[in-house]
Amino acid sequence: MATFVDRYPEEASVVKACLTVAFVSLGIGAFFGLVQALHRTGVVRLFSSVDYYTVLTAHGVLLALVFTIFFLLGLFTWAITRSLERPLPNIRLTWAWVGLAQAGTVATAAAILAGFVPDIGVSADVLFTFYAPMKAHPLFYAGLAMFIVGTWLAGADWFLAYREWRKDNPDERIPLQTFMVLTTMLMWYLATIGVAVEVVVFLLPWSFGIVETVNPLLTRTLFWFFGHPVVYFWLMPAYLMWYTILPKLAGGRLFSDPLARVVFVLFLLLSTPVGIHHQYLDPGIAEGFKFIAMTNTMFLLLPSLLTAFTVVASMEHGARQRGGEGRLRWLGALPWRDPAFTGMALAGLMFAAGGFSGMINAGMNINYLIHNTLWVPGHFHLTVGTAVALTMMAGSYWLVPQLTGRKLYSRPIGLAQVVLWFVGMVFMSNAMHRAGLAGVPRRTAEPQYNSFDFTTTMGSIEELQLQIAVGGTLLFVSVVLFSFNMLASAIEDPVETPVDDRLPAPLSGADGSPRVLDNLRLWTAIAVVLVVLAYTLPLASIVQDAGLFGNVPGVPMLIGNFVESLAGVIA
Amino acid sequence: MSTDTEGESLARREPDTARPEPERPYGYVVGSAPDGVERELSHDEFDPVGTLTLIFAYFVILVVMWVFMYFVEFLGRGLTVVG
Ligand code: HEM
Ligand SMILES: [Cu+2]
Repeated sequence: MATFVDRYPEEASVVKACLTVAFVSLGIGAFFGLVQALHRTGVVRLFSSVDYYTVLTAHGVLLALVFTIFFLLGLFTWAITRSLERPLPNIRLTWAWVGLAQAGTVATAAAILAGFVPDIGVSADVLFTFYAPMKAHPLFYAGLAMFIVGTWLAGADWFLAYREWRKDNPDERIPLQTFMVLTTMLMWYLATIGVAVEVVVFLLPWSFGIVETVNPLLTRTLFWFFGHPVVYFWLMPAYLMWYTILPKLAGGRLFSDPLARVVFVLFLLLSTPVGIHHQYLDPGIAEGFKFIAMTNTMFLLLPSLLTAFTVVASMEHGARQRGGEGRLRWLGALPWRDPAFTGMALAGLMFAAGGFSGMINAGMNINYLIHNTLWVPGHFHLTVGTAVALTMMAGSYWLVPQLTGRKLYSRPIGLAQVVLWFVGMVFMSNAMHRAGLAGVPRRTAEPQYNSFDFTTTMGSIEELQLQIAVGGTLLFVSVVLFSFNMLASAIEDPVETPVDDRLPAPLSGADGSPRVLDNLRLWTAIAVVLVVLAYTLPLASIVQDAGLFGNVPGVPMLIGNFVESLAGVIA
Repeated sequence: MSTDTEGESLARREPDTARPEPERPYGYVVGSAPDGVERELSHDEFDPVGTLTLIFAYFVILVVMWVFMYFVEFLGRGLTVVG
């Protein structure tokens, strides 16, 4: 029984090229994560606090944008090829987008890392939420633009593959994995309009000095137009794995294919018209618009709950097929010694916890309690930092052998790795949530102040700091184990069946479900209408208030120079 | 290879060691949980009571924690200016 690489060697190389970038970014990003966790808790301060934002920008961009999205590019290429059962139509186009996205990433990363060497005169300490008035070197924005165009071309490549398949299969339902890829990309095209306009029309000309000023609130709003749906761009690869791979890893079958389709359609419709929920505290946006965004956000709970049900039911199906009994005892019949299964299951559990803190974030009033505190990183290390990242790492234990034809170097190390991530994140994230409630701010190198002490309801600040530092260290060790296992797997001898790659059919298939589910044109049209409804008035009022290009000249992001000149003024 | 529409090859009932498959690596193969399947359950034979139990427990936790957050942590503090 041959595996993916034997059938589609070219495509396997493409997937490997994408995953390599993802894993290298993960390694570097995790190192910065450790450094900043130790720094801001005061445990070890390796570098000057002046460089904190360089570290933080590198961490956010490399992990939240590069690692996740390159993994997506690889995973979706694999999913399209295997579910359509044909090679990609034009492998030159495929390599072109891989190259473009990689070149863009190198440019952006170089612009950020150059910030460590002030003599170069290039810096981009604008954090992964790169809106004005903070300004980066043009190289940063140019790289981002290339990266995004790369993802657009990737989507085009997958749509072309689908069109070819459709010619030969005019009456069949879209295979489930392809359906997931296509709906996700449609959402992505819609969402990236915001960031493309922000970068190309405003930030890049401003950074080059072609325009003098921008309207910061406009760039913020355009950023968040993209900034909420991007979280679903991170999450959809994890969902694809939970729906189509996890049931098999559990020894069962997907509970319902139509339900999975409904969920992906709902995400296409609802992901974008909610971005303003990141701007509850922004002056200049009317409360009414914020309220609409909050209402839309609450509707987004629906596909998440459907997912919880379908995925857990699929696991239960596996457990019962493996002999599991009882109301909860079946949990013991799950294949817990499989790192791919256990990693994904633990990731799902953390996602459930993230659902709780997300509910708090989403409430317009209760959001004031935690806005811009450490609670927020606590929340998204459960979601993107674990639900997504841990699912991707765990999935790699099953996916990578199909790409290399080599078995995983060590299953026990893999198992230790995913458990270590879970434990590390329990410490770090829980402590971050509680520190946030005590008022500790995020994005601060030295969250300690003269003659002011944070007070906690339970425990002490020192205890929370220690938990963050210990948790961060465990997480970093987990990434080291992962990288080692992947490297060691690359030099195993090729074998015929390195991994069990069969995917069984869902318990209830697509055949009986309404055909309209597969009508991508219809869903796209509705999604566009919803976005127009949600954004026309807020954008119009922002432009009316302060003009398209505003009057804010921008804050140069060279804190070192700024501190020096400030010192000069004071002296 | 398997596709999304294929279902038959799921149950290979023999345990891992019984099958002489020299080209399979030694030890536990990632993704081989279907080898441990003892019985096949179709859609109608499967009743997800365990799932409902877990989801119900999750709901209860969510509600209790939300109530705590809203009434104790949020309203329990001083004034917040909204609007
Ligand atoms: C080794 C594991 C990790 C550690 C120790 C770690 C640690 C941290 C810490 C302490 C912060 C807060 C810094 C501050 O606000 O001052 C942070 C922020 C952040 N982390 Fe992580 N993290 C890790 C993994 C991840 C992963 C896997 C992701 C996403 C895939 C991620 C995404 C982010 C993002 C987006 C931010 C916010 C950056 C910003 O505020 O601009 N982290 N991380
Ligand atoms: Cu959001």
